[in-house]
Amino acid sequence: MKSAGRRLRPPLLSAAAFAAALLAAQVSADQAAPQTPARPAAPARTATPARYAPPRLANGKPDLQGIWQVRNTANWNLQAHGGSYKTPAGLGVVVDPPDGSIPYRPEALVIKQKNWTGREAEDPLEKCYLAGVPRTMYLPYPLQILQTETEVAILSEYVHTWRWIPLTPLDRYPGYESWMGDPRGRWDGDTLVVETVGHNDQTWFDHAGNFHSDALTVIERLTRTAADVITYEATMTDPKVFTRPWTIRMPLYLHRDMDRILENECYIYAEEAGKPIRGQHPNE
Amino acid sequence: MNRQVAAGLQIFFIGRVVALAVLVAAAHLRAQEPIPQPRTSGGCPVESRAFYECAMAQAKTFKVPRTAEGRPDFQGFWRSRNNGIAYDVEPGPGSFSVPPTAGEIIDPADKKIPYQPWAVAKRNELRTKGFEDPQGHCAPSGAPRKNNTLFGWRIIQPKGYVTFLYESMHDYRIIPTDGRKHLPASIKTWHGDPVGHWEGDTLVVDYTNLNGKHWFDMSGNFQSENIHVVERYTMFTPDTILFVATIEDSTLYTRPWTLAFSLERNKEPGYYQLEYACHEGERDLQHFTDDTRQVGR
Repeated sequence: MKSAGRRLRPPLLSAAAFAAALLAAQVSADQAAPQTPARPAAPARTATPARYAPPRLANGKPDLQGIWQVRNTANWNLQAHGGSYKTPAGLGVVVDPPDGSIPYRPEALVIKQKNWTGREAEDPLEKCYLAGVPRTMYLPYPLQILQTETEVAILSEYVHTWRWIPLTPLDRYPGYESWMGDPRGRWDGDTLVVETVGHNDQTWFDHAGNFHSDALTVIERLTRTAADVITYEATMTDPKVFTRPWTIRMPLYLHRDMDRILENECYIYAEEAGKPIRGQHPNE
Repeated sequence: MNRQVAAGLQIFFIGRVVALAVLVAAAHLRAQEPIPQPRTSGGCPVESRAFYECAMAQAKTFKVPRTAEGRPDFQGFWRSRNNGIAYDVEPGPGSFSVPPTAGEIIDPADKKIPYQPWAVAKRNELRTKGFEDPQGHCAPSGAPRKNNTLFGWRIIQPKGYVTFLYESMHDYRIIPTDGRKHLPASIKTWHGDPVGHWEGDTLVVDYTNLNGKHWFDMSGNFQSENIHVVERYTMFTPDTILFVATIEDSTLYTRPWTLAFSLERNKEPGYYQLEYACHEGERDLQHFTDDTRQVGR
């Protein structure tokens, strides 16, 4: 680990208010990556989907339990992109800024471009590392949500990892730094809001090399907007890398064809295939 | 746990594969440290058979706390009595990186795994190749070994499930308690397919679909893909669960066999479940080469 963990307490502005304040002054970030064509007229995205009455737990809170998975290409590239070798095309999932671009600081954009060039080797998922937050939520693997009145657990097939999200007060562990972050949850009406800090600087947002620092805060919003849909939203704040907070939004779809998740033991499969992934000893 | 401890333990486990003499020496020294062994757990002696008899007797009169669903409430932090190092499920005098052990088996009475003759020979050979222990390569630990891994786990009980969230390798077990059908036999997994049901106040978890690549411990005791494990969890004090696992595999063993040990509530002040990123932090397996595989031959 390169640096000590850092807890960032961003001002609790709503992302929308923050975005509105910055919109006028926003400098359009340079999205020179060759995979990022000019954004086409995207289908309208409604921030407030039609009212749906979700199933509820005994305490009246929405029941988000089930096996869920996205049906998009966010894992390959959060931004709009055409198809390329081993990469399916996608309209992009960045809804704020409205032009669908990630608002990098100029010096950070240089790192993003370097990541893009080296992605086939350097994407942490190529090494079977933990995907981090939010990427774990839009991997091409199912995840199961389990819930009690005091906690939510999100369990991913990919390298058997869980997120445990307390809904009751819990002091943060000083200096927590990790691949999956340290989440806290609360209900905002019928929306589960999860604030995650304590990230390391090793995970990427996607295969295209979009990245963050250890100053990242992610605020996710999960709303069951239809029987088979959770509308998933995540707002990223990281002043070391981005000029302003930015937001992705996508549906998670309920698997009606699965009664349990399976497993994907990426690094063991690599070893069994004779292509072991080895860490680099710091002294070598 | 804290990160330094985690790093040290990682080296300890992986250290057995390392060709560098200095690290081997360090691992060897650690192996000689005495393991703290309290004499009782939940008021019962820790010797496996005596523990089992005592805990079963206590469970008959224990008034178990219950969830809203009316099931025994196991929620909270737990860890095995040893805080989770499966050195050897059989009693043994100790060997390289394995301290003397009292064993965990309660049946057969001699506390030995009832291997077929060819299988005990294979176990003895594996025992000389501790560096091939899959857990040392950050592979999932399987059943029942996962309950003997470091730092313990959190149990949560969403409706219809008992779910274990382990600190070790951020692993989990999602156990549905509706007794559903197992996966098709063609699916082999590192985690197995746990299907649970309640027998009175005992949680019974039936495991199939394991891939047979696991070891039970650090001493080469091994499995095949025909393994069938039944785990039983019985709370007998507010802070103690009797854990019993029965193992069947007619291709390896002459009869089913059973081990038992204590799960204790983790009441360590300030305990916080941290991330144990085994593969991501791994810095020794690059020494695991064809040459390493020659060691012990």
